[in-house]
Amino acid sequence: MKTYILRRLGYSLISLVLLSVTIFLFVRVTGDPAVLLVEPGASKADVDALRAQLGLDRPLWEQYVAFVRSLLRGDFGQSFYYRTPVFDLYLSRLPNSLLLAACAMAFSLLVGIPTGILAAVRVNRWWDSVGKIFALLGLSMPAFWVGLVMILFFSVYLGWLPSSGSGTAAHLVMPAVALGWYFAAAHMRLTRSSMLEVLGSEYVKLARLKGLPEALVIAKHAFKNALIPVLTLAGINLVIMVNVAVVVETVFAWPGIGRLLYEGITFRDFPVVQATVLLGGAMIVAVNLVVDVLYAVIDPRIRYGR
Amino acid sequence: MAVRAETSRAAGLTLAWRFAALRANGFPLIPITILAVLALVAVFAEALAPHDPEVGVLGERFKPPAWQAGGSERYLLGTDHLGRDVLSRLIYGARVSMVVGLAAVAFAGTLGTALGILSGYLGGWVDQVIMRVTDAWLALPGLTFAIFLAAVVGPSAMNIVIILGAVYWTRYARVIRGEVLSLKERDFVRLAIVANCSKWTIMRRHILPNVANSAVVLGTLMLGVVIVTEASLSFLGVGVPPPQPAWGLMLADGKKGLMAGYWWLTVLPGSCIMLMVLSANLLGDWLRVKLDPQLRQL
Amino acid sequence: MKTGALVLVVVSLLLLPAAAAAAPEGTLTWAVHVSVAPTWFDPAETAGIVTPFMLLYAMHDALVKPMPGNAMTPSLAESWSVSKDGLAYEFVLRKNVKFHNGDPMTAEDVKFSFERYRGASASLLKARVARVEIVDPHRVRFVLKQPWPDFMTFYATPATGAAWIVPKRYVEKVGDEGFKKAPVGAGPYRLVSFRPGVELTLEAFEQFWRKTPSVKTLVFRVVPDESTRLAALKRGEVDIAYSITGALAEELKRTPGLTLAPTHFTFTTWLLFTEQWDPKSPWHDRRVRLAANHAIDRQGINQAVYLGLAKPAHNFVPSGMEYFWTPPPHAYDPRRARALLAEAGYPNGFDAGEVTGEMIYGGAIGEPVVNYLQAVGIRAKLRLMERAAFYKEYGEKKLRGTLHTGSGAPGNAATRIDTYAVTGGRYVYGTYPEIDGLFSEQANETNPRARQQILHKIQQLIHERAMFAPIIEPAFLNGVGPRAAVHGLGLVANFPYSSPYEDLKVKTR
Repeated sequence: MKTYILRRLGYSLISLVLLSVTIFLFVRVTGDPAVLLVEPGASKADVDALRAQLGLDRPLWEQYVAFVRSLLRGDFGQSFYYRTPVFDLYLSRLPNSLLLAACAMAFSLLVGIPTGILAAVRVNRWWDSVGKIFALLGLSMPAFWVGLVMILFFSVYLGWLPSSGSGTAAHLVMPAVALGWYFAAAHMRLTRSSMLEVLGSEYVKLARLKGLPEALVIAKHAFKNALIPVLTLAGINLVIMVNVAVVVETVFAWPGIGRLLYEGITFRDFPVVQATVLLGGAMIVAVNLVVDVLYAVIDPRIRYGR
Repeated sequence: MAVRAETSRAAGLTLAWRFAALRANGFPLIPITILAVLALVAVFAEALAPHDPEVGVLGERFKPPAWQAGGSERYLLGTDHLGRDVLSRLIYGARVSMVVGLAAVAFAGTLGTALGILSGYLGGWVDQVIMRVTDAWLALPGLTFAIFLAAVVGPSAMNIVIILGAVYWTRYARVIRGEVLSLKERDFVRLAIVANCSKWTIMRRHILPNVANSAVVLGTLMLGVVIVTEASLSFLGVGVPPPQPAWGLMLADGKKGLMAGYWWLTVLPGSCIMLMVLSANLLGDWLRVKLDPQLRQL
Repeated sequence: MKTGALVLVVVSLLLLPAAAAAAPEGTLTWAVHVSVAPTWFDPAETAGIVTPFMLLYAMHDALVKPMPGNAMTPSLAESWSVSKDGLAYEFVLRKNVKFHNGDPMTAEDVKFSFERYRGASASLLKARVARVEIVDPHRVRFVLKQPWPDFMTFYATPATGAAWIVPKRYVEKVGDEGFKKAPVGAGPYRLVSFRPGVELTLEAFEQFWRKTPSVKTLVFRVVPDESTRLAALKRGEVDIAYSITGALAEELKRTPGLTLAPTHFTFTTWLLFTEQWDPKSPWHDRRVRLAANHAIDRQGINQAVYLGLAKPAHNFVPSGMEYFWTPPPHAYDPRRARALLAEAGYPNGFDAGEVTGEMIYGGAIGEPVVNYLQAVGIRAKLRLMERAAFYKEYGEKKLRGTLHTGSGAPGNAATRIDTYAVTGGRYVYGTYPEIDGLFSEQANETNPRARQQILHKIQQLIHERAMFAPIIEPAFLNGVGPRAAVHGLGLVANFPYSSPYEDLKVKTR
């Protein structure tokens, strides 16, 4: 067990390092990083000062070490526009994104799982076809498209919900649905196939042979085991949601880290962009690690496997 | 043995589910037609578009589509806030989506397949390096990574293709590598090794043709993703720069008119995006089943 | 004795409700179209645009500033006088004025504020003012090197922030960066919290010298997206929404319960051809610049964007300013534009590169303008930048190509020409020596009529040489919701935002 954890930890660390190297290299190699990292419109003196401060004349690996050192200190640079450390800015917006992602996740599970189960149980019948259409639509309609259509109906035509901003539960409904829509389809698909597999398994057949009512079979035996892969995926998807919410947050003017990224590119506030990407990637690597370890704890086959 | 039978029954059910989703003989006529039409529109945009997509007449702004009150036949699908013809912009926008989408998929596919083959076949440290990089880059959601790169190198049509390719090759590499690993154990490959064929010959002559199927299927599936990413980039303002019309950009512009009830400025470009992605996904699904049922895990 | 005591009691009882009524209450919320930048908390850094004054009017106060009815209302100064030779301006300061932190305002603070000022026209001010003398704690004297009739225009109007007073002791203690994080001023409101990019909250400063503000809390919410601003206003989440244009303005008019409150201020937008000084550029040819002028349908833009409430401009100096010269208008004539281009050697137009503009006006006006240019063959692309960054890079001369610029800074024609058309001006890429010569002439001219003649001549030269393509004097269209009893829009002449803040009222029931 310990070797497994250590190995996964090692891989995660390597991933983090590679991520930071990638971001570091892209900034350094594609043009003058001092120009990117300094305030737009800064004087030549400022640019030169930053060049010296960043040590851009030093060998690349030395710069990288300095870069990593500052990251570990929690210093992700200073936003040009807001004149505050980017890390603080990021942390202040993160709860909003987490709230949105949590609601979107709840929506996607509440819709996806029951639909998936029903589709599996009623395979090839009417409900399955409905599920199939839903899945296809969900995976093909971009989140911001869903959002815009919802604004059109629920805000402009019906006037039920506020079209953008944040502050009340009503503001949360449409962004959560727009963000969760795609994942609802994905979860539905996975629940369905996972459920089908479990329904065809030995012990379910045994339960049926024992004469247990079908509903009990499904509820007690199949359900729990079918859910494991879905919930695993959901855990990973939660973090992904937080990071891909850029467009939804922009459409609905939701003040999360996605909007922060959008502001960063609009205002050409590069430290903000760099930090959001780095932290986003780090978050996902961390969650992947946790999920893998948990999975190994639950399922012994994995630890002794590959 | 019984487990095997059960699994194949489940697999059969999945296949049946897919077949039922398509036409009687399985051939996805509608998606292919849609994609073909879009491709033709993209190629013949100059001939098809009734107006200049980039210049409008301010006095004719916000005209609704021809079938609504206030619309006119001159502007079949209405005009935008600058009086530009929506139909013409949609037509030229198809060109952007098609070209960028296909080019990016081709680029990502070539790069990813090549690296996947190298990684899977050569193994060793090559494999380790490529896999570690793939894992690391896969950790970043495609859109976030693409936004970052666009911020660094600056958006232009060429750059967007390269950026999308750089972001999405990892999806290919993973899958192709898995395929290659199992191919390596097959007899015909072993024979080639025994016959002293060089590594490169084997990779080129034996491995590559056999992974081509997966690459193609993956390509059609990635097309949808790439198009959505490109539309998202345009929507956020870091995609193909204006005044070149791109559907995502039209959505961004159209959003301003949403509250005033000018629905056609968002619904029409959004529908185009959705149609294209839907068709690509359906085609990919069908190809996946047709070419190799083993590709279920895609 | 007893009657006296009774009178006292009655009087205090009568005064009590009045005193209670004076306590500030309620909240007014704005949806602001630009992201609030910390540089706007500091009067020393006003950059020649009017936006910072949205906050300066709230948090700070000036010796003299525009108020309803009087463009030069004595505020922190009770009065001022000019010496006979025109070399000395003496201000008598109001007594018992306190800053938010309790520090009393004295002449030291006035001198300090002037000396630390580094915003627009700072070098001009510093060049003209020989010294600032502290006569006594409540009297300050500005001594000029030579008579300068525009001194009050530069010092005592929002043309600069030099007369807006900050506390010397506090600034010296916390430094400039610290001041931007926790500003302290003499205005009617003090900073409570600032979430960058999200919102700014201010609270009434009850010891404000003029009166106690009636609204307790002011919230400025940053909502860069126009439809979101309108949506927030419709739902009652904000009371006032700044800058609603075009289709959304029409929607606003149609909505019951909301009012469209346009304000006007001395604001013009124009195209600046930075490349006209480069012989290799097409813009070097005057005919090309004229063609651009004829290509634009200013009235069309007025209708489309401002519902006809704005005013087409043919002079980059706003029509409301002193010494304004009325030019012959550039007709909207695309055919003539094409003919001019053909004459200049571009029968099929030319690739005009980028038109860079600031986000709000560049978006609303720049887009239709570029559209018109393209219609005659001047193929240009629009690039938008965030406001603070645009003006910064513009000032540093980093921006190339054509610029869509604007200025809402107050002043007179001379101040405008100084900033935009004379060598050494903050935003000047090039000019003609004749203009420089004429400008220094008028600066020393004390006779107003002669001065006007010279200034008119300068504007005429600029017009004839098509140095710019003036477009429009925008109206600033705002939406007001039902709760804003006194919204302050239009009370101060030539100022686009709600003010004076201490006079605003909100319906609390």
